[in-house]
Formats: sequence, structure tokens, C-alpha cells
Amino acid sequence: MFRIALKGILGRKARLVLTSLAVILGTAFLSGTSIFSATLTRTFDNLFSDVFQNVDAYVRSSQVIEADFGQEERQRIPVSLVDIVKTVPGVSDAAPDIQAFARIIGSDGKPLGADGNGPPTFGGVYTKYKGALWTIKQGHAPMNAGEVAIDEASVKAGKLTLNKKVKVVAQTGSREFTLVGIASYGNVRSPGGATFALFDPTTAQEFLAKPGFVDDILVTGDGSLSETALAAAINKAITKEIATKPVLKGVKTETLTGAQITQETQDQIGSALSFFGILLSVFSYIALGVGCFVIYNVFSISAAQRQRENALLRAIGASKKQISRAMLIEATIIGLFGSLVGLVGGIGLSKALSGLLRALSIDIPSGDLVITRSTVQQTLIAGLVVTLVSAWFPARRAGRVPPLAAMRETAIEIIASGKKRTIGGLVTIAAGVAVVVAVIAGAETTWLGIGILLVFIGTIILGPVIARPVALFLGRPAARFRGITGSMARQNSARNPKRTARTASPVLIGVALVTAVTALAASIKGQIDDVFTQQFKGDYAVSTNNRGFGGLSPSLALDISKLPEVAKATGIGLVTAKLDDKGQYITTISPESINGVWNIGLINAQYSDLATNSIFVSQKKAVKIGVAKGSIMKILFADGMTRKLTVSGLYVHNEIGDYIISKSLLADTTVVSFDRGVYIVTKQGVSSTVARAALTKAVTKYGQGDLLSKREYINKRSGNVNQLLGLIYGLLFLSVIIAVVGIIITLLLSVFERQRELGLLRAVGMTRSQVRTTVRWESVITSLLGAVIGIVLGIGLGWVIVFALRDQGLRNFALPIGSTIFIVFASFIVGVLAAIYPAWRATKVDILSALNTN
Amino acid sequence: MTSLTLTVAASTHNAKKIYGKDDSVVYALNDVSVDFYSGQFTAIMGPSGSGKSTLMHCIAGLDELTEGSAIIDGEDLSKMSDKDLTELRREKIGFIFQSFNLVPTLTADENIRLPLLLGNNKGNEEWIQRVINTVHLQDRLSHRPSELSGGQQQRVAVARALASEPRIIFADEPTGNLDSTTGGEILSFMRMAVDELKQTIVMVTHDPVAAAYADRIVFLADGKVAGEMLEPTAEKVLDRMKSLGN
Repeated sequence: MFRIALKGILGRKARLVLTSLAVILGTAFLSGTSIFSATLTRTFDNLFSDVFQNVDAYVRSSQVIEADFGQEERQRIPVSLVDIVKTVPGVSDAAPDIQAFARIIGSDGKPLGADGNGPPTFGGVYTKYKGALWTIKQGHAPMNAGEVAIDEASVKAGKLTLNKKVKVVAQTGSREFTLVGIASYGNVRSPGGATFALFDPTTAQEFLAKPGFVDDILVTGDGSLSETALAAAINKAITKEIATKPVLKGVKTETLTGAQITQETQDQIGSALSFFGILLSVFSYIALGVGCFVIYNVFSISAAQRQRENALLRAIGASKKQISRAMLIEATIIGLFGSLVGLVGGIGLSKALSGLLRALSIDIPSGDLVITRSTVQQTLIAGLVVTLVSAWFPARRAGRVPPLAAMRETAIEIIASGKKRTIGGLVTIAAGVAVVVAVIAGAETTWLGIGILLVFIGTIILGPVIARPVALFLGRPAARFRGITGSMARQNSARNPKRTARTASPVLIGVALVTAVTALAASIKGQIDDVFTQQFKGDYAVSTNNRGFGGLSPSLALDISKLPEVAKATGIGLVTAKLDDKGQYITTISPESINGVWNIGLINAQYSDLATNSIFVSQKKAVKIGVAKGSIMKILFADGMTRKLTVSGLYVHNEIGDYIISKSLLADTTVVSFDRGVYIVTKQGVSSTVARAALTKAVTKYGQGDLLSKREYINKRSGNVNQLLGLIYGLLFLSVIIAVVGIIITLLLSVFERQRELGLLRAVGMTRSQVRTTVRWESVITSLLGAVIGIVLGIGLGWVIVFALRDQGLRNFALPIGSTIFIVFASFIVGVLAAIYPAWRATKVDILSALNTN
Repeated sequence: MTSLTLTVAASTHNAKKIYGKDDSVVYALNDVSVDFYSGQFTAIMGPSGSGKSTLMHCIAGLDELTEGSAIIDGEDLSKMSDKDLTELRREKIGFIFQSFNLVPTLTADENIRLPLLLGNNKGNEEWIQRVINTVHLQDRLSHRPSELSGGQQQRVAVARALASEPRIIFADEPTGNLDSTTGGEILSFMRMAVDELKQTIVMVTHDPVAAAYADRIVFLADGKVAGEMLEPTAEKVLDRMKSLGN
């Protein structure tokens, strides 16, 4: 049987290519995303093992607050510890280190680095230190408060000149320095695309952090001790020092080995990247699942077309098993071949993915492609399994062909009892809907996924039953306006409902997901619009995109409020702290200036009720955690001090956060506090042109954040949703391509199957262009069939997701009519495009040989 | 029926159809000149490989001659584009094939009107009704081919060939797949189409009984015209075929 299977494959190369195409596309995405993730991780890993290559020990504070998304807020340590570390036997050299936010302003006045999710913009210390990776290539090291050294890549990017002034923005404000040195990092110009501004230790502490404090101490050993012994010795010395010096009371440190800090940093980046990796693999498995339908369809059709051949084999003595096995052997070969090609295709795709992200202004460092063994295994196994699973039922069916079928005229696909299918489909859908309703009524939200999956499966089971009536309905306009060709297209799309349903299923899944995501995005955008229109009462806002790292300097709000055109300006920021022993983001405001700029819907309270010993809690959160006005909450900042706060007010609108404290509370801590935004009310009578000019000038001076009018600001908040939407669309695009390929393959096989019919039609006077029209409309009807059912499901899905997210503050479901119409239109175009090649093939049918085939 | 009063509906002049190259050339048609007259039922007969199907395909615009010309209604087919040929087949020619004559997704009525529908042509309704009545299909019009018997399917094919009032109808072994009773019925309808509806039919067959329904038989052998017979009977045809080496 193996030889028959092999001959079966080689005898029909076209079919081999078509079947493999679905496997190739599915696996290419899988391997592409896997290669991409691995490359990204390796690039960052290499970066950090380079950073800590000469570091044998690493001293830092052990006081840390961890919040969501792996963010952490670590306390700083006194710089005086550096001298203690240097005296420890076994230490060759030690240096203070700071990793803080600093933004270099280019000679054109524009800040360097991507404003958004790009590589970080760092400020750091330049010292003479044995382990240092920074070397001055040109000029000299920064030595005083007026000097800075900048990495070579940034100097080039910002068109900066040695010994000329350059502006740098940090947490404490913006300042001008003289560029005295151009630094290079090991042998690269800039590590991972980050920008670096380097200062002498004193300036760095004062400008980037707090005088007398640094983030950590880098230590190089003299080789006499192992890293572990060295770290232990340092730790002992520091503990002793802290115990004996009263100034150091409360300071807590830990000493890591070089290997530990490298590993920890790599793990942190790894976990941040893993979210992205999971997102990518979710979409690649969706694409592979969509590919399943195409593979299943191709095997089903080819089993039907080979019915006579198989029947003949049965007649001359082949067993059912042998027939099925031959087909499964064919599937194995196609699966392996397709996955191998897909693996190679993934390399190209991973590059395209980098391009896509760069187009969405998510800049990523580039490195050599990493193809791991697990990528290869995952791709080959997934490709093989998917092909075999998809071929399983068609193979079984092929084996069941009665030997008598060899005598029959044409291929007939056995259509299973419609009744069983209808009941099965409806029951599954009903079960899914019941689960969803139960969730809406209050059951656990995790059930939602199962309910939705059941509805999808039910719809696909029901597909062949509804395909015929729906296709006939959708084909009506074609039959009406396109005459006999349209009418034939309509009938063709309905003549084999099972095949049509299978062809339309990938379109259905793709469209349902796109519709759901679009509806979700529209709902979020509508919400953002409502919320900000209602709550933001100002005229302008300065907003920043630097998530987690850095933000707007707190002095920006002060400077702006002093402008003669401005009535009021207030900054809103975020800090991380432990609140009743749980890591939380806490919003920081200035109670004295926020009134009239931002309305959070305080209940029987005023902003002035927020003192340095009090906290506001959102009403929703208060109910959840069981606090009320007057309750006491414990707050622990990164400085290690626990403070008691009284809940002095509750509020309704929790979009800016669930907990609010006054910025003055942080004044006597070392807690890092940036503003996330500055919100401005201009004076009455000041024209928008004048106000804008004055504000632009003030904001440009800082080189941070964008000045936006109220409208622009609200649009920008929605714009963030668009970016995510773009990413998801991009990832769903491959599923759409697979769906298109599915239509192309099915049409080609149908055209092949209907050769005689086409020959007859051509003989009795159908022109080539009429042949094309018929194929095209059949394709359009099939595509629309998937789209229409997909949209119905997608709207349902979107509504359910919006409902599930109601706790996150999503209140209204918005149906994007325009986008929905666009999706229908796009599926129309997809149908037209998919038909191009099959239609061309159909016109090439040779009339005589078609008529003579028996 | 004297040939002096007849007009030519279709003809070939020195028609050659050559397959292969150099040493291995095969003459499917070797210098065939033949006329088919309007209002006549002509049969083309000959042993397998005599070139009878090729001759029909070339006159009907389904295949191209290597040399010589094929003319229908005064137009030389060799000078026509694919589009013109398609229109010619649609408007001036009717076809009846041995099997698979009908489009499975269309009803009997749609199949009958297919050439007209493809040409966006309403046709002559009175004529179409007359054709449908002649082949007794009035109560089968809304059925699809799968719901019709083999004989009924061929009757639909005959009706389709007639529906557009073509200059000439070509039939390729129209009864080859039918039992003799049903086949006889179809041939009677074709005879009726010529006698009552004044149509022109050219039929390729190797069945002497079928050929006996024709007014005239053109015999082919080895790609050449091997004679003619007027007012044939099955016996006479059988004798002649024997002499042709069938």
C-alpha cells in the first residue's frame, strides 16, 4: 500500500502542492513566531550577559515593592557603601551604578528614542572602574556637574557635536550639559537600541536620583575568591557597617553574585517577553486551526474524486484498512513535507513580523536569527499532527467506499444524515448559549471561554445544513443581476453544502474574531471618549507614553502653572506601594491644584480632605475590600517605612486608579514619582493659538511628553486601542490568508471536478468571460457565507466579552457599523481575488477532451 | 429530393487534420471536401478512427483544421477568434452529445434555454413552446437532470439543440447510451425536427439502425470520404459498412 500511496502523491503533483500549501502556511506562522520570540529573548540575554560580564558581585537594597506586570520599585542605597565594599578582601574594584530615566534632546530639539514601547532611555554613571564596559572613544570622561558623555549611536542619531551643549531631561527636570565624551559600550555603539547619558557619580546622584544615593554597586573580584564567597564576604562587611553606623539605620541590602544578577535580569526580560510570545503563539495556533479545515477539505474532496479508483482497488481485493492507510501515508508525507517547507518559510516570516512591529512603532533590537531545537520539533510535530488529524475522517470514509462505486458515473460525496447533524449542531449551540447565559447570570467568568467554544463548534457542525439555504439566499442578487452565469454560480455554491461549509469555515472563524475584536475596540474607545469628556475638565493635557520607566518630571506641572496664559495646571502620577500588604499602583495627585481640572466624582468629600495622612479609595474598590470612610489602611513604600492612612473620601470614577494619595505624602521619602500626565486649564480670554504657543514652548523645554488639546488627548487615549487593534489585525491576517488559500484550493478542485460540465457549457456557447464570472460569483458567495455567519457570531462574541469586562469599567457595547460593512465588503473582495486563478484555469478547460472524458 | 434545390448549410473544402510531426504524422482528416444541406438529416458513418468525430468537431467550431476550410452559413471558421466561435456555436449551432448533455444544477427548462440565456437572448417563445411540445417535455420542465430518465435527458438535449433555431444541429452518437426503444424514440424526434420544424441535422454514428433515420449518409474511412448513400435502410448501411472494413 505504501507504494500505491507514494504513486498516488507523485501522480498528482498539483494536488500535492495544494494540500501542502495549507500545511505550509499554518506551520510557517508557528515557526515564524517561535523563531521571532527565541531571537528576541536571545538578543536580550546576550545584552545582559555582556552588561554583567565583568561583575562578580552586585549590591543593592533588599527593600522592594512588587506590583502587577513584573514592575518593581526598589529602594536606593547610600553611596558611602562603595568605600566599604572596596576594603573587603578579595574585591579588586567597585563602582556606584545608577539606572535611571534620562532623555537626550537631539540638536533638532526632538527627544531621542522611541516615545512609546521602544528601548529605554537611560541615565547612568561613568566611573573609572575595572568592570566598566563603557569606554570613551572620543573626548574625555565627564568630570563635573556641567559635563556629559553620550553613547555613539545616540550622538549620531541626535546629530550632536563634541564640546557643544546638549539638553538632557531627567526626573528632576531638564538641564544643559557640555558633551565632552562619546562613549562606546564594549564593542557595540549602543546596547539594544537604548540611549545612554553618562555623568560623573556626584552629578548622576543629584540629577538622576537623590544626592548620596545610588541604585546599586558593581563589584569586580581579584580572583582569589569564588563569586559566592565574595558576595558573602561583602554582605558580612556591609551588615557590620550598618550595625555600627547610626546614619545607616534602616538600610537593608543584599549582595548577589554576578551570575545571579545576570540570570535575574534575563528572567525579568524573559517573563515580559513571554507574554508577547504567548500572544503570538495563540494567534499562530488559531491560524493552524483554520488551516485544519483547509487540509480536511482537500482530503475530503480528493477522497471523493478518487472514489472510483479506490472502489477499483477494493474490487480487486484491497481491504478497507489498506485504502485508509494509503491515504494516511499520503497525509504523513504531505504533513512532513509541508512542515519542513513551513519551517523554512517561518524564517522569512519572523523577519516580516519584526517589520510589522516596527511599523507599529514597537522598535525591537535586532540580532541573528535563533532557530532552537524546540522550534523545529514544535513545527514538525504540530504540522504532522494537524495533517493526520485532518486526514483521519476522509481516510476512514475513503476506506468505506463500496466496490460497486467503481462502475458509477460520477463522484458522489456521501452526505451524512442532515437530521442527526441538525440536532447535534443545535444541541451544542444551545449548550454553549446556556453556559454563556449562566455566566451573565453570575457564574464564574472562566466558563465563558467554554461557552463561546461550544457555540463555535455547534455552528461548524451545523454548517453543512445551513450552507445550502444561506448560500442560495446570498446568491440571489448574483442570479438576479448576472443572469444565467450568476444563477449557475448560486447553484454551484449550494450544490455541495458540506464542501461549501468547510470552505467557508476558515472565513467564518477569521471574520468572527475580527468582528469581535473590532466591536471590543469600539466599545473601549466609546468608553474612553465618555469617561474623558466627563471627567477631564481642562483644555490641554501633556501626556507621555513611557510606561513603567520614567514619565513627566513633577516640576513640569509647576512650571506650566506659572505661565500667564494658564489658570491651573495639575500633574497626576503613579507610584507602587504595598497597601495592606498587597503590591498596588497608587495614583498621586496635587489636591491643591486638581480641583476643576479633573472630576473623579467624590462622594461627600472635597479634594482638600486629602492630607498627608489620608487616602481616597474608589467606591467600587471600597466595597470589594470592605473599607469605608474613616477606615485605617497601612501603606508601605519602597523606603521601607509603614504609614497609617485614614480613608478620607470615596469616589465614583475609578479610571485614574482605585487609590489616590497626595503627592506631599511622598515629599520626605526617596520614592520615585513621575507624573503620568499634566492637565491644564487656560485663562479665560486667552486664544487657543496663544495658549498653544506658550504651552508648546514650556513642554519643549523639558523634551518630555506631547502637548495635546482636550480633543487630541481623548483621541490619543483611543489611539492606544488602535495600536493594539492593529497588532491583532496583523496577527489575524495570516488566518485570513489561509482562508483565502482554502477557497482557492476548493475552487480549483471543483473546477477540475466539473471539467465535463465546463466543456459542455463552452460547447453550447458560454464565453470565457462568462466562465470566469461563474467561478468568481461562486467564490464570492462562499466567502460571503463565511463572512455573514462570522459577523453574527463575532457580534455575539464581542458583546459577551464586553459584558465579561464590565468589572474593568466597560459599560456600553458599541457595534461598529462602518467596520462591519467594511468586513462584508472585504470578504466580497476576498472572494473575487481567490477566484482569479481558479477562474483562469476554468477557461483553459479543453472542450474536446472534457467532452470525451468518460 | 433533388440536390439542385438544396442550399448548403455547412461545408468543408480540402479539410486536413494532422496530428504529430515528421515521421509519425497521422492524418485524422485527409483532404475532405463535403457539403451538408439545409433541411436534411445527414449521418456521418465510418469505422472507429475513420475521422468522423474529428470532422464533426471541426465543422462545429470545437476543433481547428490543420489545413483547408470549414464553412458554416457562409463564414470561414478558420478566420474566427475564440470569442466569435463561441458566439457562432451559441447562435447558429445546436449540439446533442452522447452523454452528459445537461448542466446538473439547472432545471430542464433552463437547460433547454441555456444557449439563449448565455446570449442574453429571449428567443422565440412560440418556437420554444413548440419544440417542448414536440419532445413531450411539458410536465418535466422544473425537474433537474438527476430527476429525469436517460431518455428524458436526451429529449431535453434535443430540445436545447433546437431552442435557438440554429442553422445546423450536430449530434455525436446521440443514442449511444440508450436502449434501442428509447434510442428509437430520440431518433424519431430528430426526424420530426427535420420534417416538421425544417431543421438541419448532422449526426455522427456507427449504428446502421440510427443511420437509417437519415436522408443521406456520408461514409468516411481513413480520414477520407469513402462514398455517400441516399435514402438508406439499415440493411444497405450494414452492407456498405462491411465493405469499409468495420
